[in-house]
Amino acid sequence: MANFWNLVRNENMKIYRRIATWIMMGFVVLVPVLLTVLFSIFSQGEKLNNWEMMLLESQILFQLITIFAVVKAAESVAGEFTMGTIKLLLIRPWSRSSILLSKFISVVLFALFFSVVGFAVTWLINVVVFGYVSDPAGLIPPNSPLTGSSPWAYALMSYLDQFIALVVVVTFGFMLSSAFRSSGLAIGLSIFLLLSGSIVSGLLAIADKPWVKYVLFPHLRLTSYLDGGSPVPNYPTTFAFSLGVLAVYFIIFNIVSWTVFTKRDVAG
Amino acid sequence: MSQAPVVRLQNVSKRIGSRTIIDRLTLEVNPGEVFGFLGPNGSGKTTTIRMMVGLITMSGGDISIAGHSVKSAFPQAVSHVGAIVENPEMYKFLTGYQNLVHFARMNRGITKQRIDEVIELVGLQGRIHDKVKKYSLGMRQRLGVAQAILHRPSLLILDEPTNGLDPAGIRELRDYLRRLSREEGTAVFVSSHLLSEMELMCDRVAIIQKGQLIDIRSLRGETAETSQAMEEVLFEVDHPDAAIGVLEGRGAANVVEGGFTVTADRETIADLNRRLVMAGVRVYAIRTKIKSLEDQFLEVTGGETVG
Repeated sequence: MANFWNLVRNENMKIYRRIATWIMMGFVVLVPVLLTVLFSIFSQGEKLNNWEMMLLESQILFQLITIFAVVKAAESVAGEFTMGTIKLLLIRPWSRSSILLSKFISVVLFALFFSVVGFAVTWLINVVVFGYVSDPAGLIPPNSPLTGSSPWAYALMSYLDQFIALVVVVTFGFMLSSAFRSSGLAIGLSIFLLLSGSIVSGLLAIADKPWVKYVLFPHLRLTSYLDGGSPVPNYPTTFAFSLGVLAVYFIIFNIVSWTVFTKRDVAG
Repeated sequence: MSQAPVVRLQNVSKRIGSRTIIDRLTLEVNPGEVFGFLGPNGSGKTTTIRMMVGLITMSGGDISIAGHSVKSAFPQAVSHVGAIVENPEMYKFLTGYQNLVHFARMNRGITKQRIDEVIELVGLQGRIHDKVKKYSLGMRQRLGVAQAILHRPSLLILDEPTNGLDPAGIRELRDYLRRLSREEGTAVFVSSHLLSEMELMCDRVAIIQKGQLIDIRSLRGETAETSQAMEEVLFEVDHPDAAIGVLEGRGAANVVEGGFTVTADRETIADLNRRLVMAGVRVYAIRTKIKSLEDQFLEVTGGETVG
Protein backbone atom coordinates (compact mmCIF):
# COMPACT_ATOMS: atom_id res chain seq x y z
CA MET A 1 0.00 0.00 0.00
CA ALA A 2 1.62 3.21 -1.09
CA ASN A 3 1.34 6.45 0.79
CA PHE A 4 -2.11 8.07 0.95
CA TRP A 5 -0.56 11.48 0.33
CA ASN A 6 0.31 10.26 -3.17
CA LEU A 7 -3.40 10.13 -3.95
CA VAL A 8 -3.82 13.74 -2.88
CA ARG A 9 -0.79 14.71 -4.97
CA ASN A 10 -2.43 13.05 -7.96
CA GLU A 11 -5.65 14.97 -7.42
CA ASN A 12 -3.69 18.19 -7.00
CA MET A 13 -1.85 17.50 -10.23
CA LYS A 14 -5.17 17.07 -12.02
CA ILE A 15 -6.38 20.40 -10.63
CA TYR A 16 -3.30 22.58 -11.14
CA ARG A 17 -2.19 21.17 -14.50
CA ARG A 18 -5.33 22.56 -16.04
CA ILE A 19 -5.21 26.00 -17.57
CA ALA A 20 -8.77 26.65 -16.37
CA THR A 21 -7.53 26.61 -12.77
CA TRP A 22 -5.12 29.44 -13.43
CA ILE A 23 -7.76 31.43 -15.29
CA MET A 24 -9.88 31.12 -12.14
CA MET A 25 -6.92 32.34 -10.12
CA GLY A 26 -6.69 35.28 -12.51
CA PHE A 27 -10.27 36.22 -11.64
CA VAL A 28 -9.62 35.96 -7.91
CA VAL A 29 -6.74 38.40 -8.26
CA LEU A 30 -8.27 40.73 -10.84
CA VAL A 31 -11.78 41.18 -9.43
CA PRO A 32 -10.72 42.83 -6.12
CA VAL A 33 -8.10 44.94 -7.87
CA LEU A 34 -10.65 46.11 -10.41
CA LEU A 35 -13.30 46.85 -7.78
CA THR A 36 -10.90 48.88 -5.65
CA VAL A 37 -9.54 50.84 -8.57
CA LEU A 38 -13.00 51.56 -9.99
CA PHE A 39 -14.32 52.56 -6.58
CA SER A 40 -11.45 54.93 -5.93
CA ILE A 41 -11.98 56.57 -9.33
CA PHE A 42 -15.75 56.84 -9.38
CA SER A 43 -16.78 57.27 -5.76
CA GLN A 44 -17.44 60.92 -5.01
CA GLY A 45 -17.47 61.80 -1.37
CA GLU A 46 -18.10 58.16 -0.29
CA LYS A 47 -15.51 57.35 2.30
CA LEU A 48 -14.42 53.75 2.88
CA ASN A 49 -11.23 52.71 4.58
CA ASN A 50 -9.10 49.74 3.51
CA TRP A 51 -10.84 47.28 5.89
CA GLU A 52 -14.37 48.25 4.88
CA MET A 53 -13.52 47.88 1.21
CA MET A 54 -11.76 44.59 1.87
CA LEU A 55 -14.80 43.07 3.57
CA LEU A 56 -17.15 44.39 0.91
CA GLU A 57 -15.04 42.70 -1.74
CA SER A 58 -14.76 39.51 0.27
CA GLN A 59 -18.48 38.84 -0.25
CA ILE A 60 -18.13 38.89 -4.04
CA LEU A 61 -14.85 37.05 -3.82
CA PHE A 62 -16.29 34.18 -1.81
CA GLN A 63 -19.18 33.73 -4.22
CA LEU A 64 -16.59 33.47 -6.95
CA ILE A 65 -14.36 31.04 -5.05
CA THR A 66 -17.35 28.92 -4.04
CA ILE A 67 -18.42 28.57 -7.67
CA PHE A 68 -14.86 27.74 -8.72
CA ALA A 69 -14.47 25.15 -5.97
CA VAL A 70 -17.82 23.58 -6.87
CA VAL A 71 -16.66 23.37 -10.49
CA LYS A 72 -13.52 21.60 -9.27
CA ALA A 73 -15.55 19.26 -7.06
CA ALA A 74 -17.78 18.41 -10.00
CA GLU A 75 -14.80 17.80 -12.29
CA SER A 76 -13.06 15.76 -9.66
CA VAL A 77 -15.75 13.10 -9.35
CA ALA A 78 -18.28 13.40 -12.18
CA GLY A 79 -15.52 14.45 -14.58
CA GLU A 80 -13.70 11.15 -14.11
CA PHE A 81 -16.88 9.34 -15.11
CA THR A 82 -17.42 11.57 -18.14
CA MET A 83 -13.83 11.13 -19.29
CA GLY A 84 -13.93 7.39 -18.59
CA THR A 85 -10.75 7.64 -16.52
CA ILE A 86 -12.62 6.38 -13.46
CA LYS A 87 -12.11 2.87 -14.86
CA LEU A 88 -8.35 3.28 -14.61
CA LEU A 89 -8.48 5.09 -11.29
CA LEU A 90 -10.53 2.52 -9.38
CA ILE A 91 -8.57 -0.56 -10.45
CA ARG A 92 -5.62 0.32 -8.23
CA PRO A 93 -4.81 -1.16 -4.83
CA TRP A 94 -6.84 1.46 -3.00
CA SER A 95 -10.31 1.35 -1.53
CA ARG A 96 -12.88 3.62 -3.10
CA SER A 97 -13.16 5.45 0.23
CA SER A 98 -9.50 6.46 0.02
CA ILE A 99 -9.91 7.69 -3.55
CA LEU A 100 -12.98 9.73 -2.60
CA LEU A 101 -11.29 11.16 0.50
CA SER A 102 -8.25 12.22 -1.54
CA LYS A 103 -10.55 14.01 -3.95
CA PHE A 104 -12.41 15.78 -1.18
CA ILE A 105 -9.19 16.88 0.49
CA SER A 106 -7.77 18.23 -2.75
CA VAL A 107 -10.92 20.26 -3.43
CA VAL A 108 -10.93 21.72 0.09
CA LEU A 109 -7.21 22.54 -0.29
CA PHE A 110 -8.04 24.26 -3.57
CA ALA A 111 -10.69 26.38 -1.83
CA LEU A 112 -8.30 27.16 1.02
CA PHE A 113 -5.53 28.15 -1.37
CA PHE A 114 -7.84 30.47 -3.30
CA SER A 115 -9.27 31.97 -0.09
CA VAL A 116 -5.79 32.73 1.25
CA VAL A 117 -4.81 34.33 -2.05
CA GLY A 118 -8.09 36.26 -2.00
CA PHE A 119 -7.38 37.52 1.53
CA ALA A 120 -3.87 38.60 0.58
CA VAL A 121 -4.99 40.37 -2.60
CA THR A 122 -7.91 42.22 -0.99
CA TRP A 123 -5.74 43.30 1.92
CA LEU A 124 -2.86 44.43 -0.25
CA ILE A 125 -4.73 46.34 -2.95
CA ASN A 126 -6.84 48.23 -0.43
CA VAL A 127 -3.85 49.17 1.69
CA VAL A 128 -2.09 50.35 -1.45
CA VAL A 129 -5.04 52.42 -2.65
CA PHE A 130 -6.63 53.63 0.58
CA GLY A 131 -3.74 53.42 3.04
CA TYR A 132 -3.61 51.42 6.26
CA VAL A 133 -6.03 52.24 9.08
CA SER A 134 -5.53 50.66 12.49
CA ASP A 135 -8.67 52.16 14.07
CA PRO A 136 -11.62 49.72 14.03
CA ALA A 137 -14.22 52.50 14.33
CA GLY A 138 -16.86 52.27 11.59
CA LEU A 139 -15.77 48.74 10.72
CA ILE A 140 -16.95 46.83 13.80
CA PRO A 141 -20.54 47.62 14.82
CA PRO A 142 -21.06 48.54 18.49
CA ASN A 143 -23.07 45.39 19.34
CA SER A 144 -20.63 43.00 17.67
CA PRO A 145 -19.09 40.31 19.87
CA LEU A 146 -15.73 41.48 18.55
CA THR A 147 -16.12 45.07 19.75
CA GLY A 148 -12.80 46.31 21.00
CA SER A 149 -10.76 43.88 18.90
CA SER A 150 -8.42 44.87 16.14
CA PRO A 151 -9.58 45.14 12.51
CA TRP A 152 -7.33 42.15 11.80
CA ALA A 153 -9.34 39.92 14.12
CA TYR A 154 -12.61 41.10 12.59
CA ALA A 155 -11.43 40.64 9.00
CA LEU A 156 -9.93 37.21 9.67
CA MET A 157 -13.09 36.11 11.47
CA SER A 158 -15.22 37.27 8.58
CA TYR A 159 -13.08 35.33 6.08
CA LEU A 160 -13.17 32.26 8.29
CA ASP A 161 -16.99 32.37 8.56
CA GLN A 162 -17.31 32.67 4.82
CA PHE A 163 -14.82 29.87 4.29
CA ILE A 164 -16.82 27.54 6.53
CA ALA A 165 -19.98 28.27 4.54
CA LEU A 166 -18.00 27.66 1.34
CA VAL A 167 -16.88 24.23 2.54
CA VAL A 168 -20.50 23.24 3.24
CA VAL A 169 -21.65 24.34 -0.22
CA VAL A 170 -18.71 22.56 -1.85
CA THR A 171 -19.54 19.39 0.09
CA PHE A 172 -23.06 19.67 -1.27
CA GLY A 173 -21.69 19.97 -4.81
CA PHE A 174 -19.35 17.07 -4.16
CA MET A 175 -22.28 14.94 -3.04
CA LEU A 176 -24.32 15.74 -6.16
CA SER A 177 -21.29 15.11 -8.31
CA SER A 178 -20.80 11.61 -6.96
CA ALA A 179 -24.53 10.83 -6.74
CA PHE A 180 -25.52 11.93 -10.23
CA ARG A 181 -22.14 11.64 -11.95
CA SER A 182 -23.11 14.76 -13.82
CA SER A 183 -21.01 17.84 -13.34
CA GLY A 184 -23.63 20.14 -14.84
CA LEU A 185 -26.25 19.19 -12.29
CA ALA A 186 -23.79 19.43 -9.40
CA ILE A 187 -22.59 22.88 -10.43
CA GLY A 188 -26.08 24.17 -11.18
CA LEU A 189 -27.69 23.07 -7.93
CA SER A 190 -24.75 24.25 -5.83
CA ILE A 191 -24.94 27.72 -7.35
CA PHE A 192 -28.65 27.66 -6.62
CA LEU A 193 -27.85 26.84 -2.99
CA LEU A 194 -25.31 29.63 -2.92
CA LEU A 195 -27.52 32.31 -4.45
CA SER A 196 -30.96 31.39 -3.12
CA GLY A 197 -29.96 31.82 0.52
CA SER A 198 -31.53 35.22 1.04
CA ILE A 199 -34.73 34.35 -0.86
CA VAL A 200 -35.21 31.18 1.13
CA SER A 201 -34.50 33.06 4.35
CA GLY A 202 -37.26 35.48 3.34
CA LEU A 203 -39.66 32.60 2.76
CA LEU A 204 -38.72 31.09 6.11
CA ALA A 205 -39.58 34.36 7.78
CA ILE A 206 -43.09 34.01 6.35
CA ALA A 207 -43.33 30.35 7.37
CA ASP A 208 -42.51 31.29 10.96
CA LYS A 209 -42.35 27.74 12.30
CA PRO A 210 -39.85 26.49 14.90
CA TRP A 211 -38.23 24.05 12.43
CA VAL A 212 -36.93 26.91 10.31
CA LYS A 213 -34.00 27.00 12.70
CA TYR A 214 -32.79 23.72 11.21
CA VAL A 215 -32.95 24.70 7.57
CA LEU A 216 -29.51 24.96 5.98
CA PHE A 217 -29.78 28.15 3.94
CA PRO A 218 -29.76 30.93 6.58
CA HIS A 219 -26.88 29.37 8.51
CA LEU A 220 -24.60 29.84 5.53
CA ARG A 221 -24.61 33.55 6.46
CA LEU A 222 -22.44 33.08 9.54
CA THR A 223 -21.09 36.61 9.21
CA SER A 224 -24.37 38.02 10.52
CA TYR A 225 -23.17 37.05 14.02
CA LEU A 226 -20.17 39.34 13.56
CA ASP A 227 -22.48 42.32 13.36
CA GLY A 228 -24.37 41.27 16.46
CA GLY A 229 -27.31 39.69 14.62
CA SER A 230 -28.29 36.12 13.87
CA PRO A 231 -29.09 34.50 10.52
CA VAL A 232 -32.53 32.90 11.06
CA PRO A 233 -35.40 35.41 10.88
CA ASN A 234 -37.59 35.53 14.03
CA TYR A 235 -35.61 32.79 15.75
CA PRO A 236 -32.45 34.04 17.42
CA THR A 237 -29.73 31.41 17.40
CA THR A 238 -26.19 31.28 18.68
CA PHE A 239 -23.01 30.98 16.66
CA ALA A 240 -22.38 27.53 18.14
CA PHE A 241 -25.88 26.43 17.16
CA SER A 242 -25.28 27.50 13.55
CA LEU A 243 -21.97 25.67 13.48
CA GLY A 244 -23.76 22.59 14.80
CA VAL A 245 -26.43 22.77 12.08
CA LEU A 246 -23.76 23.19 9.40
CA ALA A 247 -21.79 20.26 10.83
CA VAL A 248 -24.85 17.99 10.67
CA TYR A 249 -25.46 18.90 7.03
CA PHE A 250 -21.76 18.49 6.30
CA ILE A 251 -21.79 14.98 7.75
CA ILE A 252 -25.00 14.00 5.93
CA PHE A 253 -23.65 15.22 2.59
CA ASN A 254 -20.45 13.26 3.10
CA ILE A 255 -22.25 10.08 4.10
CA VAL A 256 -24.36 10.27 0.95
CA SER A 257 -21.29 10.87 -1.27
CA TRP A 258 -19.41 8.05 0.35
CA THR A 259 -22.29 5.56 0.22
CA VAL A 260 -23.02 6.21 -3.43
CA PHE A 261 -19.39 6.31 -4.51
CA THR A 262 -18.32 3.13 -2.76
CA LYS A 263 -21.39 1.04 -3.47
CA ARG A 264 -22.47 1.82 -6.96
CA ASP A 265 -21.35 -0.16 -10.01
CA VAL A 266 -19.19 1.56 -12.58
CA ALA A 267 -20.81 0.44 -15.81
CA GLY A 268 -21.31 1.88 -19.24
CA MET B 1 3.47 -22.32 -7.14
CA SER B 2 3.92 -21.28 -10.76
CA GLN B 3 1.16 -23.58 -11.89
CA ALA B 4 -1.47 -22.37 -9.46
CA PRO B 5 -3.98 -20.43 -11.56
CA VAL B 6 -3.58 -16.67 -11.52
CA VAL B 7 -7.30 -16.05 -11.78
CA ARG B 8 -10.09 -18.27 -10.69
CA LEU B 9 -13.72 -17.43 -11.37
CA GLN B 10 -16.09 -19.59 -9.38
CA ASN B 11 -19.80 -19.59 -10.14
CA VAL B 12 -19.67 -15.90 -10.85
CA SER B 13 -23.10 -14.41 -11.53
CA LYS B 14 -24.43 -10.96 -12.15
CA ARG B 15 -28.08 -10.15 -11.98
CA ILE B 16 -29.64 -6.76 -12.54
CA GLY B 17 -33.25 -6.85 -11.46
CA SER B 18 -34.66 -10.06 -12.85
CA ARG B 19 -32.20 -10.20 -15.74
CA THR B 20 -29.26 -12.55 -15.42
CA ILE B 21 -26.33 -11.03 -17.24
CA ILE B 22 -23.69 -13.52 -16.19
CA ASP B 23 -24.77 -16.99 -15.19
CA ARG B 24 -22.49 -19.10 -12.93
CA LEU B 25 -19.29 -18.58 -14.87
CA THR B 26 -16.39 -20.78 -13.79
CA LEU B 27 -12.95 -20.68 -15.35
CA GLU B 28 -9.24 -20.46 -14.57
CA VAL B 29 -6.29 -18.79 -16.22
CA ASN B 30 -2.76 -20.08 -15.69
CA PRO B 31 0.49 -18.12 -15.47
CA GLY B 32 2.10 -17.38 -18.82
CA GLU B 33 -1.06 -18.15 -20.71
CA VAL B 34 -2.80 -15.94 -23.24
CA PHE B 35 -6.45 -16.61 -22.59
CA GLY B 36 -9.08 -15.43 -25.02
CA PHE B 37 -12.56 -14.51 -23.89
CA LEU B 38 -14.80 -14.75 -26.86
CA GLY B 39 -18.43 -13.95 -27.38
CA PRO B 40 -20.84 -12.02 -29.52
CA ASN B 41 -21.61 -8.42 -28.67
CA GLY B 42 -23.71 -8.19 -25.53
CA SER B 43 -22.79 -11.65 -24.29
CA GLY B 44 -21.30 -10.35 -21.04
CA LYS B 45 -17.58 -10.08 -21.78
CA THR B 46 -17.15 -6.55 -20.49
CA THR B 47 -19.41 -7.23 -17.51
CA THR B 48 -17.19 -10.16 -16.52
CA ILE B 49 -14.05 -8.07 -16.88
CA ARG B 50 -15.56 -5.28 -14.82
CA MET B 51 -16.31 -7.78 -12.07
CA MET B 52 -12.74 -9.08 -12.21
CA VAL B 53 -11.35 -5.62 -11.54
CA GLY B 54 -14.00 -4.67 -8.99
CA LEU B 55 -15.74 -1.98 -11.02
CA ILE B 56 -19.02 -3.79 -10.55
CA THR B 57 -20.09 -6.13 -7.79
CA MET B 58 -20.90 -9.80 -8.21
CA SER B 59 -24.37 -11.06 -7.40
CA GLY B 60 -22.99 -14.51 -6.66
CA GLY B 61 -19.78 -16.50 -6.65
CA ASP B 62 -16.29 -15.10 -6.23
CA ILE B 63 -13.19 -14.25 -8.22
CA SER B 64 -9.74 -14.74 -6.79
CA ILE B 65 -6.61 -13.20 -8.26
CA ALA B 66 -3.25 -14.56 -7.08
CA GLY B 67 -5.14 -16.16 -4.22
CA HIS B 68 -6.87 -12.98 -3.02
CA SER B 69 -10.62 -12.58 -3.24
CA VAL B 70 -11.76 -9.57 -5.23
CA LYS B 71 -14.73 -9.35 -2.86
CA SER B 72 -13.02 -9.45 0.51
CA ALA B 73 -9.42 -8.40 -0.22
CA PHE B 74 -9.80 -6.02 -3.14
CA PRO B 75 -6.57 -3.98 -2.80
CA GLN B 76 -4.41 -7.12 -2.51
CA ALA B 77 -6.17 -8.85 -5.41
CA VAL B 78 -6.10 -5.87 -7.76
CA SER B 79 -2.46 -5.07 -7.03
CA HIS B 80 -1.62 -8.08 -9.24
CA VAL B 81 -3.73 -6.79 -12.09
CA GLY B 82 -3.03 -4.42 -14.92
CA ALA B 83 -5.99 -3.64 -17.13
CA ILE B 84 -7.49 -1.64 -19.91
CA VAL B 85 -11.25 -1.72 -19.69
CA GLU B 86 -12.68 -0.78 -23.08
CA ASN B 87 -10.89 2.22 -24.52
CA PRO B 88 -7.72 3.44 -22.85
CA GLU B 89 -9.09 6.74 -21.58
CA MET B 90 -6.30 8.81 -20.09
CA TYR B 91 -6.22 12.36 -18.74
CA LYS B 92 -6.11 14.33 -21.98
CA PHE B 93 -4.95 17.56 -20.39
CA LEU B 94 -1.86 15.83 -18.96
CA THR B 95 1.14 14.62 -20.91
CA GLY B 96 1.70 10.91 -21.45
CA TYR B 97 4.46 11.04 -18.88
CA GLN B 98 2.31 12.77 -16.26
CA ASN B 99 -0.35 10.12 -16.81
CA LEU B 100 2.18 7.40 -16.09
CA VAL B 101 3.47 9.22 -13.01
CA HIS B 102 -0.14 9.50 -11.83
CA PHE B 103 -0.71 5.75 -12.03
CA ALA B 104 2.80 4.92 -10.79
CA ARG B 105 2.10 6.82 -7.58
CA MET B 106 -0.86 4.59 -6.87
CA ASN B 107 1.29 1.47 -6.65
CA ARG B 108 4.21 0.80 -4.41
CA GLY B 109 7.77 0.68 -5.61
CA ILE B 110 7.58 1.96 -9.18
CA THR B 111 10.81 3.80 -9.85
CA LYS B 112 11.55 6.46 -12.43
CA GLN B 113 13.71 3.93 -14.26
CA ARG B 114 10.76 1.55 -14.47
CA ILE B 115 8.61 4.31 -16.02
CA ASP B 116 11.31 5.03 -18.62
CA GLU B 117 11.72 1.33 -19.30
CA VAL B 118 8.00 0.91 -19.95
CA ILE B 119 7.90 3.98 -22.19
CA GLU B 120 10.67 2.45 -24.29
CA LEU B 121 8.93 -0.90 -24.33
CA VAL B 122 5.77 0.55 -25.88
CA GLY B 123 7.80 2.82 -28.14
CA LEU B 124 6.51 6.20 -26.98
CA GLN B 125 9.88 7.84 -26.20
CA GLY B 126 9.48 10.52 -28.86
CA ARG B 127 6.04 11.73 -27.80
CA ILE B 128 5.80 10.99 -24.11
CA HIS B 129 6.00 14.65 -23.09
CA ASP B 130 3.17 15.68 -25.41
CA LYS B 131 -0.34 16.19 -24.10
CA VAL B 132 -2.46 13.07 -24.54
CA LYS B 133 -5.09 15.06 -26.44
CA LYS B 134 -2.58 15.25 -29.30
CA TYR B 135 -2.14 11.47 -29.43
CA SER B 136 -3.56 9.23 -32.13
CA LEU B 137 -5.70 6.29 -31.08
CA GLY B 138 -2.77 3.94 -31.59
CA MET B 139 -0.58 6.03 -29.30
CA ARG B 140 -3.29 6.12 -26.65
CA GLN B 141 -3.50 2.36 -26.89
CA ARG B 142 0.25 2.15 -26.28
CA LEU B 143 -0.02 4.48 -23.32
CA GLY B 144 -2.86 2.31 -22.07
CA VAL B 145 -0.64 -0.76 -22.24
CA ALA B 146 2.14 1.19 -20.51
CA GLN B 147 -0.04 2.11 -17.51
CA ALA B 148 -1.27 -1.47 -17.30
CA ILE B 149 2.19 -3.07 -17.09
CA LEU B 150 3.95 -0.41 -14.97
CA HIS B 151 3.73 -2.45 -11.77
CA ARG B 152 4.62 -5.79 -13.44
CA PRO B 153 1.21 -7.37 -12.89
CA SER B 154 0.89 -11.14 -12.93
CA LEU B 155 -2.39 -10.74 -14.79
CA LEU B 156 -2.99 -8.40 -17.68
CA ILE B 157 -6.62 -7.86 -18.63
CA LEU B 158 -7.40 -6.30 -21.98
CA ASP B 159 -10.93 -5.61 -23.14
CA GLU B 160 -11.21 -5.54 -26.93
CA PRO B 161 -7.60 -4.36 -27.27
CA THR B 162 -7.52 -4.33 -31.03
CA ASN B 163 -10.44 -1.90 -31.35
CA GLY B 164 -9.37 0.99 -33.50
CA LEU B 165 -5.87 -0.29 -34.17
CA ASP B 166 -4.53 -0.57 -37.69
CA PRO B 167 -3.18 -3.96 -38.88
CA ALA B 168 0.39 -3.02 -38.00
CA GLY B 169 -0.69 -1.96 -34.52
CA ILE B 170 -2.63 -5.18 -34.00
CA ARG B 171 0.35 -7.23 -35.03
CA GLU B 172 2.65 -5.31 -32.74
CA LEU B 173 0.27 -5.74 -29.81
CA ARG B 174 -0.01 -9.45 -30.53
CA ASP B 175 3.74 -9.95 -30.62
CA TYR B 176 4.12 -7.90 -27.52
CA LEU B 177 1.52 -9.87 -25.55
CA ARG B 178 3.07 -13.16 -26.56
CA ARG B 179 6.48 -11.93 -25.47
CA LEU B 180 5.11 -10.74 -22.16
CA SER B 181 3.49 -14.09 -21.45
CA ARG B 182 6.53 -16.07 -22.54
CA GLU B 183 9.28 -14.00 -20.95
CA GLU B 184 7.67 -12.60 -17.82
CA GLY B 185 5.15 -15.36 -17.23
CA THR B 186 2.33 -12.83 -17.25
CA ALA B 187 -1.11 -14.30 -17.73
CA VAL B 188 -3.03 -12.33 -20.33
CA PHE B 189 -6.81 -12.30 -20.33
CA VAL B 190 -8.09 -10.76 -23.51
CA SER B 191 -11.66 -10.33 -24.67
CA SER B 192 -12.70 -9.88 -28.23
CA HIS B 193 -15.32 -10.62 -30.80
CA LEU B 194 -12.69 -10.71 -33.55
CA LEU B 195 -12.20 -14.42 -33.97
CA SER B 196 -9.31 -14.44 -36.39
CA GLU B 197 -7.42 -12.14 -34.02
CA MET B 198 -7.96 -14.45 -31.09
CA GLU B 199 -6.87 -17.42 -33.12
CA LEU B 200 -3.48 -15.83 -33.69
CA MET B 201 -3.07 -14.52 -30.18
CA CYS B 202 -4.40 -17.03 -27.69
CA ASP B 203 -3.40 -20.35 -26.18
CA ARG B 204 -6.91 -21.10 -25.00
CA VAL B 205 -10.26 -19.47 -25.54
CA ALA B 206 -13.47 -19.50 -23.60
CA ILE B 207 -16.63 -18.86 -25.53
CA ILE B 208 -19.56 -17.25 -23.78
CA GLN B 209 -23.00 -16.49 -25.00
CA LYS B 210 -25.88 -14.86 -23.15
CA GLY B 211 -23.76 -14.83 -20.02
CA GLN B 212 -23.11 -18.55 -20.02
CA LEU B 213 -19.87 -20.36 -20.64
CA ILE B 214 -20.38 -22.52 -23.70
CA ASP B 215 -16.97 -23.97 -24.28
CA ILE B 216 -13.28 -23.71 -23.39
CA ARG B 217 -10.87 -24.98 -25.97
CA SER B 218 -7.17 -25.06 -26.55
CA LEU B 219 -5.84 -23.56 -29.76
CA ARG B 220 -2.30 -24.89 -29.61
CA GLY B 221 -0.94 -28.32 -30.59
CA GLU B 222 -4.18 -29.86 -31.72
CA THR B 223 -4.15 -29.28 -35.44
CA ALA B 224 -1.16 -31.52 -36.33
CA GLU B 225 -1.92 -34.96 -34.93
CA THR B 226 -5.09 -36.00 -36.65
CA SER B 227 -4.01 -38.95 -38.78
CA GLN B 228 -6.79 -41.17 -37.46
CA ALA B 229 -9.44 -38.50 -37.50
CA MET B 230 -11.91 -37.98 -40.26
CA GLU B 231 -11.27 -34.86 -42.26
CA GLU B 232 -13.27 -33.00 -44.76
CA VAL B 233 -11.22 -32.89 -47.96
CA LEU B 234 -11.68 -30.93 -51.13
CA PHE B 235 -10.59 -32.54 -54.40
CA GLU B 236 -10.12 -30.22 -57.34
CA VAL B 237 -10.79 -32.25 -60.48
CA ASP B 238 -11.68 -31.62 -64.13
CA HIS B 239 -14.92 -33.63 -64.22
CA PRO B 240 -16.56 -33.73 -60.78
CA ASP B 241 -19.52 -35.83 -61.92
CA ALA B 242 -17.30 -38.48 -63.47
CA ALA B 243 -15.17 -38.47 -60.33
CA ILE B 244 -18.19 -39.10 -58.11
CA GLY B 245 -19.00 -42.12 -60.24
CA VAL B 246 -15.52 -43.51 -59.65
CA LEU B 247 -15.87 -43.11 -55.89
CA GLU B 248 -19.16 -44.91 -55.59
CA GLY B 249 -19.64 -46.54 -52.23
CA ARG B 250 -16.69 -44.73 -50.71
CA GLY B 251 -18.38 -42.25 -48.38
CA ALA B 252 -20.71 -39.39 -49.15
CA ALA B 253 -19.25 -36.92 -51.59
CA ASN B 254 -20.67 -33.52 -52.50
CA VAL B 255 -20.09 -31.87 -55.80
CA VAL B 256 -18.90 -28.30 -55.48
CA GLU B 257 -17.63 -25.88 -58.05
CA GLY B 258 -14.46 -27.24 -59.67
CA GLY B 259 -14.45 -30.48 -57.70
CA PHE B 260 -16.07 -32.31 -54.82
CA THR B 261 -15.68 -32.69 -51.07
CA VAL B 262 -15.58 -35.89 -49.15
CA THR B 263 -15.13 -36.82 -45.50
CA ALA B 264 -12.50 -39.48 -45.00
CA ASP B 265 -9.39 -40.44 -43.02
CA ARG B 266 -5.81 -40.13 -44.27
CA GLU B 267 -5.41 -43.56 -45.84
CA THR B 268 -8.73 -43.38 -47.62
CA ILE B 269 -7.79 -40.05 -49.11
CA ALA B 270 -4.65 -41.54 -50.70
CA ASP B 271 -6.71 -44.46 -51.92
CA LEU B 272 -9.34 -42.19 -53.45
CA ASN B 273 -6.67 -40.28 -55.27
CA ARG B 274 -5.19 -43.42 -56.79
CA ARG B 275 -8.61 -44.52 -58.04
CA LEU B 276 -9.32 -41.16 -59.59
CA VAL B 277 -6.01 -41.08 -61.41
CA MET B 278 -6.45 -44.60 -62.66
CA ALA B 279 -9.92 -43.74 -63.94
CA GLY B 280 -8.41 -40.91 -65.98
CA VAL B 281 -9.76 -38.05 -63.85
CA ARG B 282 -7.29 -35.20 -63.61
CA VAL B 283 -6.69 -34.20 -59.99
CA TYR B 284 -5.35 -30.66 -59.57
CA ALA B 285 -5.30 -30.36 -55.81
CA ILE B 286 -6.33 -32.11 -52.60
CA ARG B 287 -6.96 -29.81 -49.68
CA THR B 288 -7.93 -30.53 -46.08
CA LYS B 289 -10.48 -28.04 -44.85
CA ILE B 290 -9.33 -26.96 -41.38
CA LYS B 291 -12.13 -25.53 -39.38
CA SER B 292 -11.23 -22.01 -38.40
CA LEU B 293 -12.11 -20.68 -35.00
CA GLU B 294 -14.77 -18.69 -36.74
CA ASP B 295 -16.47 -21.85 -37.98
CA GLN B 296 -16.17 -23.43 -34.56
CA PHE B 297 -17.51 -20.31 -32.94
CA LEU B 298 -20.48 -20.09 -35.23
CA GLU B 299 -21.06 -23.77 -34.64
CA VAL B 300 -21.24 -23.49 -30.87
CA THR B 301 -23.09 -20.21 -30.74
CA GLY B 302 -25.49 -21.26 -33.45
CA GLY B 303 -24.52 -18.32 -35.61
CA GLU B 304 -26.21 -15.75 -33.45
CA THR B 305 -24.66 -12.35 -33.45
CA VAL B 306 -26.36 -10.75 -30.48
CA GLY B 307 -26.88 -12.86 -27.40
